[in-house]
Amino acid sequence: MACPSCDLLYDVAGLRDGEKASCSRCGDFLTRMRSDGFIKLQSYAIAGLVSLMIGCAFPFLSFKSSGLESVMTLPQMVIQLYEQGRPDLAFLVAAFIIALPAAVLVLLLVLSTCIIRQRYYAWMVPVTRLVFHMQSWSMVEVFFIGVLVSLVKIGHMATVVIGLSFWGYGAFSVLFIFAIASLDRLQYWNELDRLAGLQHAG
Amino acid sequence: MQGDTAAARHLASCHLCLKLADASLHHCPRCGEPLHLRKSNSLQRTLALLVTACVLYIPANVLPIMITDQLGSVEPSTILGGVVLLIDMGSMPIAAVIFIASVMVPLGKLIALFYLCWSVSRGRHINTRQRTVIYRATELIGKWSMVDVFVVSILVALVHLTGLLVILPGAAAVAFAGVVIVTIIAAESFDPRIIWDQQEQTDE
Repeated sequence: MACPSCDLLYDVAGLRDGEKASCSRCGDFLTRMRSDGFIKLQSYAIAGLVSLMIGCAFPFLSFKSSGLESVMTLPQMVIQLYEQGRPDLAFLVAAFIIALPAAVLVLLLVLSTCIIRQRYYAWMVPVTRLVFHMQSWSMVEVFFIGVLVSLVKIGHMATVVIGLSFWGYGAFSVLFIFAIASLDRLQYWNELDRLAGLQHAG
Repeated sequence: MQGDTAAARHLASCHLCLKLADASLHHCPRCGEPLHLRKSNSLQRTLALLVTACVLYIPANVLPIMITDQLGSVEPSTILGGVVLLIDMGSMPIAAVIFIASVMVPLGKLIALFYLCWSVSRGRHINTRQRTVIYRATELIGKWSMVDVFVVSILVALVHLTGLLVILPGAAAVAFAGVVIVTIIAAESFDPRIIWDQQEQTDE
C-alpha cells in the first residue's frame, strides 16, 4: 500500500494480529490488523442502532419555566426547525445527526454480517463506497457536545429535565465512534477481495 | 534511505480503498472510484473553496445566529455576542468551548489551508512533516465547528414557551453551517502528497 498522506510505498502483509502500522516519514496511520474486527463492527452496529432508536423515541430534554413546560424529542427538533422557517437548517441537522449515521450503521451491519458468513455479492462493492463517503459527514459526537453546551447555557434560565432519549443518544454517539474505529479500510477491502476470489474459484 | 513512492513507480493509490493500480487507468479496478495519481487541480479547488468560505464567514458573523423573544422583547445575538453574554453570565468554560469551536477553529482552518496552499505554490520544502501534521489537524477538527449550529437547533426546539420565552434561529446559523461544510470540502480537495513531491524533487 501507499501512505495516503505522502505516497511512500509499504508492504503491510506481514502484520500480526493486533499490530498497527504507521508511516515512518509523515507519521500517518496506515492500518491495524485485527482478526476480530468484523465481529466487533457487527456488535457495535447492532448496539448503536438500538440506542439510536431509544434516542429518537422518547423525550430528549424538557424545559420548565413559570409553570409552563415544553418537551423535545429528536424528530420534533427537526420539525420545529422546519416550522420556524429554516427548512435548510432542519435538513442539515437531520442528515448529519440522524439520517447519515443511521444509514452508515445499517449498511455496516449488513456488510459485516455478509463478511462474517463469508458471503460475497457484487453489490457489496458500491455499497461499501457509499458507506465510506457518508461516514465522514456524520457529526454524532459533535451534536452530543452541542447538547451538553445547551444544557449549561439554559440551565440557569429554568429547570431542564434530562429524558431517556438523552442517554440513548449519548450511548449511540459512543457506539458509533467505536464502530467507525473498528472499520479498517485496508483490512476491509482485502477481505472483500479475498471473498471475491473465493467465489471466482468456487 | 527510504523506499520509493507509489508515483515514482507510476502507481496510483485509490483514495477510497487504498488499492495500488496503474496510473494510466481512470477508475480504480477494485472499487470503481475515479483514480488519480494526485487529486486533480487540488490547489485551485482548495483556494476557490477557501475564498467561498471567507465570503460566507461575513454574514455568519454579522447576522444574528439566534433571536430570543422574552415576554415580547426581541433580542438578536451574533456568535461573538453570544460568547460575550456567556462571559458576563460567568460561565467561562462554555464561553471557551463556543469561542474555540465557532471562532478559533474555523479561522484557524482557513489560515492553515491558505498557508499550505501558499507554501506549496511557492515551492517551499521546509517543515514537510509539520505541514502534513497541520493538514491532518485541519481535517480532524473541521466538523467540530458545527457545535454552535447544533446548540442553536436544540435551543430553538426546546425553548418555545409561547408568549413567555421563545428562541428563533437566525440567518447566520445557515451561513455558518455553510462555512463549515465548504471548509470541510476544501480540506478534502487538498492533496497532502504534493507537499512531499516537492521535497523529493529537491532531494534528487
